Amino acid sequence: MKKFGVIFQYELMNYIKNKSYVITTVIIALVAGIIMFVPNFIDIGSVTGENKNDVSDENSGADSDSTILVYDKSGMVTDISFIQNFYHDDAIKKASGENELVDKVKADEVSAGFVVNSLTDYDYYVYNQSMTDDNQVVFTQVMTVLNQMVYCQKNGIDYASLTQAFNPQIDCHENILGKDMGSNYWYCYGLVMIIFMIIIMYGSMVATSVTQEKSNRTMEVLVTSVDTNLLFFAKVLAGAVAALIQSAVMLGTVLISYKINQDKWGGMLNMVLDIPANVLVVFALFGIGGFLFYTFIYGAMGALVSKTEDINKSAGGVQMVIMIVYFITLASLTNVDGIMIKVTSFLPVSSYSAMFARVAMGSVNTWEIVVSFIILVASIVVVGIIGAKIYRMGTLRYGNPIKLSNAFKSIKEN
Amino acid sequence: MKLEVKDITKSFGDKQVLHGISFEVQSGRALGLLGRNGAGKTTTIRILMDVFRANSGEVLLDGEKFNQRKHLIGYLPEERGLYPKKKVIEQMVYLGRIRGISKSEAVANSKKWLKRLGVLEYENAKLETLSKGNQQKVQLASTLVCDPDIVILDEPFSGLDPVNSRILQDVVMELIGQNKIVIFSSHQMSYVEEFCKDIVIINKGDVVLSGDLDNIKREFGKNQLVVSAVDKTLDDLENIINEHMSDILEITGRTKEELIIKNVADVSRKQILSKFISENIEIERFETYKPSLNDIFVSKVGDADEKEAAE
Repeated sequence: MKKFGVIFQYELMNYIKNKSYVITTVIIALVAGIIMFVPNFIDIGSVTGENKNDVSDENSGADSDSTILVYDKSGMVTDISFIQNFYHDDAIKKASGENELVDKVKADEVSAGFVVNSLTDYDYYVYNQSMTDDNQVVFTQVMTVLNQMVYCQKNGIDYASLTQAFNPQIDCHENILGKDMGSNYWYCYGLVMIIFMIIIMYGSMVATSVTQEKSNRTMEVLVTSVDTNLLFFAKVLAGAVAALIQSAVMLGTVLISYKINQDKWGGMLNMVLDIPANVLVVFALFGIGGFLFYTFIYGAMGALVSKTEDINKSAGGVQMVIMIVYFITLASLTNVDGIMIKVTSFLPVSSYSAMFARVAMGSVNTWEIVVSFIILVASIVVVGIIGAKIYRMGTLRYGNPIKLSNAFKSIKEN
Repeated sequence: MKLEVKDITKSFGDKQVLHGISFEVQSGRALGLLGRNGAGKTTTIRILMDVFRANSGEVLLDGEKFNQRKHLIGYLPEERGLYPKKKVIEQMVYLGRIRGISKSEAVANSKKWLKRLGVLEYENAKLETLSKGNQQKVQLASTLVCDPDIVILDEPFSGLDPVNSRILQDVVMELIGQNKIVIFSSHQMSYVEEFCKDIVIINKGDVVLSGDLDNIKREFGKNQLVVSAVDKTLDDLENIINEHMSDILEITGRTKEELIIKNVADVSRKQILSKFISENIEIERFETYKPSLNDIFVSKVGDADEKEAAE
């Protein structure tokens, strides 16, 4: 155990003393921390365009740079301000003719144009349609109301009282007894992405460290000096701890800085950064577990090649699995109680993100969490032992990358 | 302590590279492992160090199965390797500690060996900034940092200039004097000859000769003489012996200035001399043949190769 401590300390210091590690950690944490303090110095609403002190002005569209032209062929739209009431961000102006409207849209002088053919028919003109364009939806609403008003007028019905009768004000008091998927979605999405990035980034780092020892021929000295299992486990765990320290410093700085300045942000980032403690604990446990699971695999993959440029050849398959798990989990976030995520939350290759997502957003029993965690821990031990054997087997095998099947064959023979 | 290698075999895939290697070495004695490139020396050493597992056979220390982790071993692998971007002292202390000595001991030993090998001034330099020869010395110092009981050096002289080779020879002599087991492989016979009590010659995975070097030399030179004549070339002398003295002498080889002859009829030296005189040969040199290790090596490895070619 003493030797394990010596190797662990040496390997950890290798990471921590590394200039790029220190610079990256300090700069990212500093920048992220400073950003969280920004609302103390400037009005954050002016930056994001969400000024919380603004009072909605129904006629604000009149001052807008964006203009929508309307040409009424039917003669039913007598008052243009009626349409303006529906468009708060655009100025509504009348066009003198259909050609003028089309020309101005084509020349990009106005953002869009409507030609009203009758009470139930209109043409919409736009040059480049954006993905979030809702002008047609709003204009259809305008025409619907116009139709209703004309109908009431023709039949001697008071439109105002009819509207009130058909649209009574309903008060709803929301009481969420379980989890609010809407608000949990974003931080869950963010954390799944973070753990994915940590695994890919630091896994490659551990693989590189193993391959470097092989390429500079240090490995033979090491494996003849100390038990390979100790060497491999200490090496991988040191890489894992270095990763956790860096992630904890960065994430911790962001979370603490945000907590300090939460009021100043007006809760704007709550959906991303206001993460409940129990979710953070599950994220930490499964995240660390998943990370260790993959880091052991990366370490073994590093031993299969003798040049750092070949690491992608041996670790490519692992990266593919990690990416597939990532996309499956993200796709399942909208249905966290579905069968797919239930299955993946028990598999060691995917439970690190799937089980965490279920805990954060879905319904999950305590026994399920415990069983999944036990499977994950057992898998880490098994993968660690097999990884150490591959590491040992790959010690003096230089040249072309060793195929995984050949590696298992060699282990079996020994 | 007595380290015994008993009948080890090793195959890589379908190719068998060791066919039953056996030898033994004791404390205070150095064993030279000799052989041509690819003979199986490094594989044997790697099996000794448990880098490879033998297919059969065993390695014993004082009659017990040799457990490398329970003993302090200084191993200098053929493929030299340390951390190029690390400071010399830093990695030496690390290597000492993972072999089981304390930090303070590792620091003291590192400085001692760096000083002994004349590279103490580089203790805080990164390894990659040192010359190849100095890196080699650092590697040797790292091998000895744990004050090992067993020292295994694979081709320790390769890459060293004559001055550094001399320093290494002195170090090896010191280790032998400290009653340690020293095993090393080398192509340079002169070094092996100088301080090895025992030798093992491996050829194509077989031990072709092993034992006490003095005895081997004595046995190899038994009934053999070196002879040269005044005013006669070696070719002339060889012709005379073949034509007139083949009943008692056989030519077994030649050095630069002498013929090596074997007394095949077990006659006395006086009779041989009389024969030369009767042939009117004026003898310049006539003495017992003392073979060099190089002669023995070439003879044994050459014989084995010739036999194989004949088969």
